[in-house]
Order: sequence, then C-alpha cells, then structure tokens
Amino acid sequence: MANAKQEEMLEKKAKLRQGGGEKAIARQHSLGKYTARERLEKLFDENSFVETGLFVKHRCTNFGMDKKEAAGDGVVTGYGTVNGRLVYASAQDFTVIGGSLGEMQAMKIANAQEAALKVGCPMISINDSGGARIQEGVDALAGYGRIFYNNTMASGVIPQISVIMGPCAGGAVYSPAITDFIFMVKGTGEMFITGPQVIKAVTGEEVSAEDLGGAMAHNQVSGCAHFACENEDACLEEIRELLSYLPQNNNELAPGYECTDDLNRENTVLDTIVPENPNKAYDMYSVISEIADNGEFFEYQKYFAPNIVTGFIRLNGQSIGVIASQPKAMAGCLDINSSDKASRFIRTCDAFNIPLLTLEDVPGFLPGSSQEHGGIIRHGAKMLFAYSEASVPKVTLITRKAYGGAYIGMCSKHLGADFVYAWPNTEIAVMGAEGAANIIFAKDIKAAEDPAARRQERIKEYQDTMMNPYIAASRGYVDDVIMPHESRKYLISAFESLKGKRVDKPLKKHGNIPL
Amino acid sequence: MTRKFNIIVDGVAHEVEVEELGGSAAPVSAPAAVQRPAAAPAPKAAPKPAAPKAAAAAGDVTAPLQGTVLSIEVKPGDSVKAGQTLVVIEAMKMENEIVAPADGVVKSVSVNKGDNVSAGDLLVSFN
Repeated sequence: MANAKQEEMLEKKAKLRQGGGEKAIARQHSLGKYTARERLEKLFDENSFVETGLFVKHRCTNFGMDKKEAAGDGVVTGYGTVNGRLVYASAQDFTVIGGSLGEMQAMKIANAQEAALKVGCPMISINDSGGARIQEGVDALAGYGRIFYNNTMASGVIPQISVIMGPCAGGAVYSPAITDFIFMVKGTGEMFITGPQVIKAVTGEEVSAEDLGGAMAHNQVSGCAHFACENEDACLEEIRELLSYLPQNNNELAPGYECTDDLNRENTVLDTIVPENPNKAYDMYSVISEIADNGEFFEYQKYFAPNIVTGFIRLNGQSIGVIASQPKAMAGCLDINSSDKASRFIRTCDAFNIPLLTLEDVPGFLPGSSQEHGGIIRHGAKMLFAYSEASVPKVTLITRKAYGGAYIGMCSKHLGADFVYAWPNTEIAVMGAEGAANIIFAKDIKAAEDPAARRQERIKEYQDTMMNPYIAASRGYVDDVIMPHESRKYLISAFESLKGKRVDKPLKKHGNIPL
Repeated sequence: MTRKFNIIVDGVAHEVEVEELGGSAAPVSAPAAVQRPAAAPAPKAAPKPAAPKAAAAAGDVTAPLQGTVLSIEVKPGDSVKAGQTLVVIEAMKMENEIVAPADGVVKSVSVNKGDNVSAGDLLVSFN
C-alpha cells in the first residue's frame, strides 16, 4: 500500500504520461500517427525504456502561457535498449501544445543528446512538432541552437538518427539535416524551411505540403532524407534494422553476427550476368544480393540518384557499406547527385568503422552544361576526397567498365583501395574505344581510302590492346582478375585479412572537403 | 477526321479524341465497352528488400539524361505495367531503358526514333 505522498507521486506521473489528454491522443491516432510514448515503446525492446525529465515544465509567462500546462513540455526523452544495445531517444509529443519547442523542451532533448555522447551510444530524435514555441521568443531559438550544436559535436562520434513522423518546419529541419540518417514516414512526415502558406504569400507559388516536403520529395528529389517508410510501424522496424549494422560509437565495430551462409558459396549466376554487348545494361542489385550473406541488403537513399546504389550488407556476419554503379539507371554514370549520395555514405561508413565495398561499372562522368554549371567538379571532388580520406578497409570489384576520371573516383588503387579485383570482361581505359580511336587515329582514318572501314579497324585495335583488365593488373593497379563466381569468397577473404588495418594520417585540425 | 468520346471508367469521365485514319468515311461506332486491362500478376520480387509500391498515379515520363532515342516500345493506347520499357535512349554508350513508373495507359509519345533528347524532355504521357 502506498502512503499519501506516494499516491500523490503516482497520480502526478499518471497524469503527465497522458500527454495532451484523450482528445488530443484520439486526434493523433486519427491522422495515422502514434503518440510519442507509443512510438518509443515500439522502438525499444519491451519494457526497456526509462524516461527522464517527466516533470520538466516550461517557465514562460508571456501571453497567458503561465496558465498553460504542458506535460513534459511536449517531449518524451530517455534511454532503453534496441536488440539489447543501449540507445538514447527523444520523441516530440504533438498532443502537447503541438509539440512546439521552447526553452525546456530543448533542454530535455539536449540533455538526452549529451547523455548519449557521454556514454557513447546512438541518439534517435523523433520529430513531430509545429515548430518553435512563438510565445517563448528567443528562448526557443536558443533551444534549437543548442540542439544543432550538440548534433555537430556528436557527429562522427555516435550514430545520430532523425525520424520525421509529423511536421518538422523552419529552423527545426537543421537538427535532422546535421544527423547521419533521416527517416520519413509517407503521408505524415514533412520537412521544409518555409511552408506552403508562406510560399504562396511571398511568391504566389501553390504547392501542397506533401509535394513540397513530404517523404518522397526529400527521398527522391532533394536527397535530404535517406529512408521513406510506408507507415510508422514499418519505420520503427527499419530503424531497429539499421542499428544492427552500426556500432555504438566511433571507437567500436559494428556487431558481428554468426554467418549462416557458406563463405565459399559460388556465385554461378554472376558468370553470365554481364551482357556480351557492352551497350546493354544489367541489374547491379542482383550482384549485391548474390554476394551478400543470405542475399540481404539494407539500402540507403534508395530513391535518390539511382545511378549509384548504396547500403549495407554483411560478409561473414560483418557490416559492410556497399557503393555500386547501377548500369540500369543513367548508364551508371557519375553525376552531381550520385557523387553527393556516395560521398556522404562513404563518410558515414568511415566515421563508424564500417568497411567499404565498391562495385564498379562506370562509363564516366555525365557530360553536359547542366552538370558543369551545377558544379560537377566540386561535387565529384567530394567522392575522390571521401574515398581517399576513408581509412576503413576498402575493397573494389570492377564488374565491367572503369573509364577515365570515374575509374579513379570509384575507389581505385590510387585512392587507397586495399584490394582491387576485376572480372575478365573488365575494360579499364581513359575512354570508350570509339572515342579513343577517333582521337588517336584521326589523321590515319581521314587519310584512308575507306575511312569508315579504317575507323572500325582502329576501334578494334584499341579495344584489343587497351580494353581489358590485364594492363592495369600488370602495373599492380588490379590485384587479381577473378571469375565472377569466385567473387563472394574473394571479397570475404579480403575483408577478413584487413581486420587489423590501421592508417596513420598527418596531424591536422580537419581536412577541407569541397562542399 | 477527329471524333470526341466521353468514356466513363469506374465513375470517372474521360474525354477522348479519336482520329480516324485511312479513306473510309463511314462513321466509326464507339466501342461498346472499355476493356480494363487485366490485373497484372505481382512482379517476381528480386532477392532484395521489398520495394514499396511505385506511386499510384502515373504522370509524365521524362528523359533522365541527354541522348538519342534508339527505339520506342509503346504507342498511344497501350496498357503498360510498372517497370515495362517505354523508350530506349542511347547515352553514355549504353542503351538506357526508360521504364513505366506505374501501371497505366499510354496517352501520347512525344519523341521519334533518332531524336536527340535533353534531360527533362517529355517522352511519354499517361492517361
């Protein structure tokens, strides 16, 4: 039996845990959204969530705010376990004054961030908020600022995951933007600096919130988000899965899992996957899943820049980050968006000690004035920088084309790849045979009696001489030419051999990646 | 000679223009009923994480990159399934298959074989 003081405490807690009350909760549910507490219950292992700061209250007295109760100040914070591993989280509670962020809500979130950084575990922030609590003025802005600063300080130390399950507008978007992974739920998650009403008032443009900053807008068009989920349940499940590929912090390795797939499994389907005609495409997804343990691939930025595919697989139970050309989309070329996507992913992996596997079939950088004027030079440079800088094990498998600057960029030996393997049909060259022959043999072709026939002869000559993996292998730029069906075992062996890899770098404050 | 029809499918009215080709001057009778394409069997999933369904509404399909139209695989009126090849554009020494983003019926094809297209150019419109 609890005594009076204990009863009082239990009542207070029960009331605070009701958040904005039944009506607000019903409205939240009617929008297809869970409440903050329901989300955390689903995210964490059963009964593992421990709340902090339940009694925190706002201190605002402006505009009648002193009469306004705000349970937990509109956010639930605390820690728990996901698959047995510690994780900190904050979840904004839209049922409490629209989840708006003021001084004390920000303090709760910042405290959770700082705790996660202190103990070295992932931090997950669930966003569902109308934005800054306007009544609190600069205190609300100061709150955001502290959160952004913490995000930046924690960047590269602990994995930070942002989840957009409702509105996330104005300055609020910059916390997710600084973090490593952004999940958005279709239909309810939205992010923008200025919303549809402001846009209409200022520029006259009419656009819906979903088209402007919905899950697909950011996953497919802007590239600001990394995962688009069908609903909240699916989203929380995907976050749990993502965590299984990540370490707790930058001093640890991602958890190893027992590998139930044969390490020496032959990939016989890969022997015939590349079409004989080099102008024909094939699906790089098939190569990735054929090589991976149990065919499992957890994709990152699936909808953005599909000409390069990124995501996590396991080899012998160990997390591996994959960057793969996709011949089926835009010929697998490198362009502004694919360079940005790959560079960000490479740096995410490197920060968290996840080795890199590059699968390369790249015809080059995309030509055109829109690319040049869009800054492909500085965007492409990010990839070279990110690969060169990455000190994790780096293994590259060339499946067909490796042309020009793109050959260098896709983790060649020259950028520090530890192993480069190539399939026998590999073509490593400065450019395709036709273009090369036209330049090298321009005079000869022009002078010939039958220039067309002469051109074909010269193209073939160039092809026979240059378009193979053996010249690069003779220089040591390719470590070995292997049968496609041997890929899995060679790659596993390579990564196993690299487990002790250490790289000393020159002392510096930080590099200056072209942004 | 162009004739207009009002076709109602599942309660939604579609105004359709039909152009009669050839010499016959006889009026063309309106089709008795609009055949709905049979429900396509679910595409065989590749061994990768289940892909969320493509957006329901099929809009316009534009060229993702600059190149030359090598072939056109559909014509107006064709029913296509998501993932079906519409147009092949040769670019970057590759035959890039431009596929339907969702199931739909082709309204118009805006390019011809041999055309040079720029990124963003309209290729195929859907009803």
